[in-house]
Amino acid sequence: MGNLYYNKTAQWAVYVVFFAALGVVPLMVSDSFLLNQFATYGVYGMLALSLSLCWGFGGILNLGQGIAFGLGAYGMAMTMQMQSQTESNPIPPFMLNNSLESLPMLWQPFQSTTLGLILAVAAPTLFCAVFGGIMFRARVSGPFFAIMTLAMLSAFYTIILDRQAYTGGVNGLTPPGSFQFGDFEIDPYSPAAYWVVFGFLMGATFLTKLITQSSFGLVTQAIRDDAERVRFLGYSVAGYETVIYTISGLIAAVAGCCWVMLVQYVSPAQMDVSFSLSIVIWAAIGGRHSLLGSILGAFIIQGAQSYLGDTFLATWLLILGGFFIVVVRFLPNGLASLVEKAFGLFERRDPTSSPAPDGGRPLPAE
Amino acid sequence: MSGLLEIRNLSKSFDATKVINDFSMEVVEGTICCLVGPNGAGKTTTMDLITGRIKPTSGKVFFANDDITAKHEHLIARAGIGRKFQVPAVLRDMSVQQNLEVAFSRQTNPFRNLFKFRKAGLKDKLDEVATLAGLTGRLKERAGILSHGETQWLEIGMVLMQEPRLLLMDEPIAGMTEGEAEKTAQIFKDLRKSATLLVVEHDMGFVREIADVVVVMHMGSLLAQGTIQQIEADRRVRDVYLGEQEAA
Ligand SMILES: Nc1ncnc2c1ncn2[C@@H]1O[C@H](COP(=O)(O)OP(=O)(O)OP(=O)(O)O)[C@@H](O)[C@H]1O
Ligand SMILES: [Mg+2]
Repeated sequence: MGNLYYNKTAQWAVYVVFFAALGVVPLMVSDSFLLNQFATYGVYGMLALSLSLCWGFGGILNLGQGIAFGLGAYGMAMTMQMQSQTESNPIPPFMLNNSLESLPMLWQPFQSTTLGLILAVAAPTLFCAVFGGIMFRARVSGPFFAIMTLAMLSAFYTIILDRQAYTGGVNGLTPPGSFQFGDFEIDPYSPAAYWVVFGFLMGATFLTKLITQSSFGLVTQAIRDDAERVRFLGYSVAGYETVIYTISGLIAAVAGCCWVMLVQYVSPAQMDVSFSLSIVIWAAIGGRHSLLGSILGAFIIQGAQSYLGDTFLATWLLILGGFFIVVVRFLPNGLASLVEKAFGLFERRDPTSSPAPDGGRPLPAE
Repeated sequence: MSGLLEIRNLSKSFDATKVINDFSMEVVEGTICCLVGPNGAGKTTTMDLITGRIKPTSGKVFFANDDITAKHEHLIARAGIGRKFQVPAVLRDMSVQQNLEVAFSRQTNPFRNLFKFRKAGLKDKLDEVATLAGLTGRLKERAGILSHGETQWLEIGMVLMQEPRLLLMDEPIAGMTEGEAEKTAQIFKDLRKSATLLVVEHDMGFVREIADVVVVMHMGSLLAQGTIQQIEADRRVRDVYLGEQEAA
């Protein structure tokens, strides 16, 4: 029967249980601030998931996941900001302070909520497709690609900080009202907001899981194993890498939109290097080869930060860093590998199982 | 009739050293052509040039009358050229079955493969190739733990899964037992009905068994070309290659 950890039916069953558990949260939590906080964890989970797809499954380390997240967040913030502007007051206050007299071209599409939402997701996705396409075609890979994403992230950070009249500079954007979707107002502290994030997280997780199990997933796995060899089988390695990087970016962009819906705020801090690095840390601690492990990694680290971070204000980063080193040293595949090992022990005791029944190390995404 | 594969005046230099020097040859469709020559003659480099792994300094490669010189590797593979490497290259972290499945590359478009879970015709082809390669009992094994001989078989199996028109085999029987080599010879001869083969091999017994045409390379150039009898009778070939083989 093999290690249960690799059993596809068992994996799907765990997913169903996981999302069922997340689904009952709003029924149990009456504190709306807490619910809002849990919803933001869902956003972080989506980010960790996107990185798990790109890095854990695709083998592409991306230190600039904040680019797609941040662009999505800015797009959403611009849309929400424009929702609060009226005919008599057509341009956001910070622009007036920066002596702009009319709404800049860049902002005009965001007057329409539909167009704004489309742009918030499409612009970062398109960026990933173009940037990834150029990099992967030139066969930039491994640490070199990681450094390029970092450089790109810093470039975006600088531009957004610098173009104060268009972006709000260091203050960022703080749309005054909650997000209006048609006739609905999505109060960030309501269960509705939680459900939106829950829906996207669940959708993204199932979508990602399906991708890893498809023919595409098999080719991606082969590329991670030996990209050079895969070319001679007729697959465009650059094409596959670009697609996986872009899908990962798409999920991060959606996460960015959700995040602004919840916190009504965005600033260059979301495109800061340290934020993108923390996404990497979530996935590494949870287990980058496991989609669910990565999501849980984000929950655990961000949850701990919320509760312990206040108590150990100055030393929190030290604690996190120490924990990270311990995990990387003793559990290079993250906490999820504990589960794998536990099932492995179980399997060895099962006398009916054949030796190495599942080809040793098959589909790594849990 | 012109060849399925035509190499015209190919040259390749690494820095100052000329590794391939004005080399031309052709492989006729439905035949087995053996490319032989001493170590360092440039046989593997020629395969690198055919499959787009490296770009020639000058000269051209035609496949089915299309110029494929310096095209990207995946496009050349898609055009119908499959390759087994001299140092067997399989996907070591994946199972034997997954190796064969990936090699079954009728559909290469990433978008079409995104939500594809069953490949038409895969099962039959997989059974056929696994049986041929003697790997039926090893399908769930991780490819990295296979013996050298089994790895050779797996890579040959991968090339067969690709269903190419032209198969390039770089030292396919190295590490195989005599019985296995005999079986490989039979498989290659059967393949001739539907495909064309270019085989690099040092084992002259094997070459004698399968070759329709033998091409001898020496220091990056064509030394001789003909049937195995003509080659074995050739004075220059005896001097630079076969003599040395007999001594070894
Ligand atoms: N990347 C490279 N840079 C420099 N020289 C190279 C390179 N690749 C191959 N060579 C040289 O080209 C020559 C031909 O090498 P090649 O591997 O094609 O020989 P071969 O005929 O396949 O030999 P063998 O029978 O030993 O496999 C050798 O002298 C080798 O050292
Ligand atoms: Mg060689």
